[in-house]
Amino acid sequence: MNKATKSYGVFIRLATYLMLTLLAIVFVFPFYWLFTASFKTQAQIFVTPPHWIPSHLMWSNYTDLFQQTNIVRAFFNSVITSAGSVLLSLFLCSLGGFAFAKYPLAPGNNRMFAFVLGTMLIPGAVTLIPTFEILVHIHWINTYWALIVPGAVGAFGIFWMRQYMSANLPDDLLAAARIDGCSEFGIYWRIAVPIAQPALAALGIMNLIGSWNNLMWAFIVLRTPSMYTLPLVIYLMQGEMSTPWGMLMAGGVFTVLPLVIAFLLFQKQFVAGITAGAVKQ
Amino acid sequence: MNSPSISGRPHGGDSRSNWQALWKYRHFYLFVSPFFILFAIFGLYPLLFSLFLSFTKWDGITAIHWAGLYNFRLMIHDELLWRSLWNTLVIGVLYIPPMLILAFLFAQILNSQWLKLKSLYRAAFFLPAVTPMVVIAVVFSLIFSSERGVLNYLLLSINHLLPFLHLQPIHWLDSENWSKVSVAILVVWRWTGYNMVLMLAGLQAIPIDYYEAAQLDGATAWQSMRHVTWPLLQPVFRFCLLLSLLGTLYMFDEVFVLTNGGPGTSSTNFGLYLFNLSFTDFKFGYASCVAYSVAIVVFGVSLGINRLNRRNSEVA
Amino acid sequence: MIQTSKPTRLASFLTLTFVALALAGCTSKSSVNAPPLTTQQAQQPVKGDITVWSWNIAAKALQDIAPSFERANPGTRVHVDLTGAEMQTRFMLSLAADVGAPDVSQLQITDAPHYMATGKLADLTAVAAKYQSDFPASRWAECVMNGHVYAIPWDLGPVAIFYKRNIFSKYHINPASIHTWADYITAGKKIVALSHGRTKMLALGVSGLADMFEIFLQQTHGQVFDDAGRIAIDSPQAKKALDMIREIHNAGITLDINAYGQEWMAGFNDSTLATYPGAVWLGGIIKDSQSKFAGNSTRWGVFRLPAIQRGGVHVANLGGSVLVIPKQCANKAAAWAFVKYALCTAKGQLMQYEKESLYPSFLPALKSHVMDRPDPFFGGQPVGRLFARDVQKIWRINRTANWAEAESYIQQDLSQWAAAGMPHDHLLSTLAVSLHQRLDVPLAPASEINQPAPEVQQ
Repeated sequence: MNKATKSYGVFIRLATYLMLTLLAIVFVFPFYWLFTASFKTQAQIFVTPPHWIPSHLMWSNYTDLFQQTNIVRAFFNSVITSAGSVLLSLFLCSLGGFAFAKYPLAPGNNRMFAFVLGTMLIPGAVTLIPTFEILVHIHWINTYWALIVPGAVGAFGIFWMRQYMSANLPDDLLAAARIDGCSEFGIYWRIAVPIAQPALAALGIMNLIGSWNNLMWAFIVLRTPSMYTLPLVIYLMQGEMSTPWGMLMAGGVFTVLPLVIAFLLFQKQFVAGITAGAVKQ
Repeated sequence: MNSPSISGRPHGGDSRSNWQALWKYRHFYLFVSPFFILFAIFGLYPLLFSLFLSFTKWDGITAIHWAGLYNFRLMIHDELLWRSLWNTLVIGVLYIPPMLILAFLFAQILNSQWLKLKSLYRAAFFLPAVTPMVVIAVVFSLIFSSERGVLNYLLLSINHLLPFLHLQPIHWLDSENWSKVSVAILVVWRWTGYNMVLMLAGLQAIPIDYYEAAQLDGATAWQSMRHVTWPLLQPVFRFCLLLSLLGTLYMFDEVFVLTNGGPGTSSTNFGLYLFNLSFTDFKFGYASCVAYSVAIVVFGVSLGINRLNRRNSEVA
Repeated sequence: MIQTSKPTRLASFLTLTFVALALAGCTSKSSVNAPPLTTQQAQQPVKGDITVWSWNIAAKALQDIAPSFERANPGTRVHVDLTGAEMQTRFMLSLAADVGAPDVSQLQITDAPHYMATGKLADLTAVAAKYQSDFPASRWAECVMNGHVYAIPWDLGPVAIFYKRNIFSKYHINPASIHTWADYITAGKKIVALSHGRTKMLALGVSGLADMFEIFLQQTHGQVFDDAGRIAIDSPQAKKALDMIREIHNAGITLDINAYGQEWMAGFNDSTLATYPGAVWLGGIIKDSQSKFAGNSTRWGVFRLPAIQRGGVHVANLGGSVLVIPKQCANKAAAWAFVKYALCTAKGQLMQYEKESLYPSFLPALKSHVMDRPDPFFGGQPVGRLFARDVQKIWRINRTANWAEAESYIQQDLSQWAAAGMPHDHLLSTLAVSLHQRLDVPLAPASEINQPAPEVQQ
């Protein structure tokens, strides 16, 4: 009987592995399809039965991509706007979070923090049009600022940093630093920031995913091809009638790759970053 | 000077000591000020301006006209608004159950002690959540292509093997009946891993003692899942559900790139509808009115659900 | 003591990033106050680069003529940008933000009024008014708002019937005998009967109803909006247009498939459909599709649009586009020089017609012998001449700023009407009221629109 349950258990495990692997293949397949299609001609992409494995690696989609489109410039724009919004948001959120965590006696601290949390309830859809109008009036349309500044301090980021610093930043350490003559900003910069690095990494990655992938706002505020970011270039490559599919796929690989590499390198931080969202409730 | 307590005014010198406290904590106010400044410009002002716009007609370019309640009356006659809300509901119903079930299943399996290659599986399921939607939607439009897509090729191959199923190629993106299904498939693919990670975190937070206790009581695996995992994972489930519902309402990239709401308006969800109203039709007044009204309804509904939940958990 | 190297590096990176940002931010300046266009300017030689946004065949046509324009105007360079999806939306965003618009942009004729009403397009009256008589009056009127010219007509969309010669000859039908829609229906019934229902006369799906409605509205000289911009759709003319649609539908000669869908395109190459009523540009789509399907045996011809009654008008227009110059354009003189070269010269328009089949709206171009050339694809018919006939008689539809929106509501209500079996009820009065509600535009008084449909004569 014991043997029977054991072999039954083995069978269950094998079946689980099989199912899990099958589903994993389904989930990875679109990436595989994107990658292989970037080495195919237009005709090969649409052939039936499909070519599961490209017969040979055709690099012309990539050379076309670099010669015919602004992809390098777009990559640069994406890097600037993503880095800008991630860094600015990390700086301001950690500064705010630090203040809320470490000056509990400051008059209004609690009420102000409750207010910050309350702002999370405002859906972006409501503020979209006025924000566009503000950017028009301050001549920020078609600049990097339009992608970086409006979303720079999120309530969630402040909340996240406050929680982390409350839990992990000993008050004694701060007191000791004050006695050493360290300025308040110096305490934040030299003590709080290094200690909060795991939380910063998680938050930064969340913001990175959001800003690297941003399509709607980029579509609205970026007006000339020299300012377009990668998602916008990819979107606009889909012409009204004729889409250069091979080149589009190559551009897709180019857009996806940085995040995929970052993800594979920093999987733990990514997962922490996403789980961070769950604390929201 | 005498001590304030003697003077009989415990809060004597009120304003002065208040100012002193404020000055003492000036760094606090300085450090939190960026949030409040940016919120005032890009949060509060837009919120008020949007409220004002709800009562106007404006194209964002020419002069603003006061319209009173015109926009609100218009909403009643706006078939496309109701259609987009209906589509949102249908898409949500199509994808949320399979997504949450899959995510729970994956989380449950990945939480098993015996499983090897955990991080590999986790990476496979989670990768979609970090990739730019626009690229993914483009790849899916290839996969969904009715004449030469991989999916229809597979359908035909299966039909060849098992003719009694009578599988036909499906016009995934060209048919009004299937376009919502296609969007739902894309969303399941994209967000299952995300929900899985959230549930995994929830599962890992359940103390192992609970399971051991259940095992001592002779509970089967199913029973311990039913009576330990399920109730303790409820908050995470509820959170995932809420996030998905809001996500469906305001979803944009997925629909914009894959179907652009078509064919016709068959896959236009509320997010795309609102975008089109704002930045294709440039009806800033009416769009603000719709955005506000829906946000208020959503706020009210989630408040109600929250209260109901709390009452339920008090009863339990 | 306290390790500082990491944050310091972070700080310097931050600083560098923001310096780069600040520099980049300076590069895009808006030019809202770009000077207006004057006649003197237009006569001086022009210089500089201009960017043009356009799509598809139209963009290719402009690319075709750009070199000869550059040769004629040394020092100019034309960049035709096929900027891809949602071009008109992005153009409007650029107008709203006063930054990032191209120097010249294409717009669909039905959408153009919405853009003209923004006041963000350059007023071309001073330089363009003299070309008024060189374009069909109806088309020119669509480019004028409040007496100012904001756009120049590009291609025209005269409508005729594309038919399959092989089917017509198989069932012994002479296209020359079809003068009126009644004749057309009779021919259709004959084809359906002789083919045992396998071949239908035309596709009339839900999405094609608005086009048919507009054709009939033009043939009956009806309007959606009257000259004052009030809703005038509840008219005897519009009622006649609906009656025509119902008559065709009830004759049992139609196939319920959507225009421009896959099935509809596939119909080009089999014998499910005998005719496709459509504008001249449909010819390009048909020709284009032939190269995609091998071994088809369809031979095509064209006959003129049937009139509603004998002696009635045989013309209508569907679609077409215009070129506009936004106010923010910094080099309006060069932009205008290019638009003038492309659209207001017979040479420019004919070059585009010959290379990309873009049908001119410039009347001197339509007088050219190029239009008399036989088209081998259409069995040697000189179709260019056929479409050019009576273009001056195309009825002027009043396109208001909210035209495109009105059109979408009409389309919606027409498809509901069709789904209900095209009843003889009050579609038009309810449509008028709902347009009134949704567009916030007054209704024209019934006394002004309720005149009996005039017998529109050729």
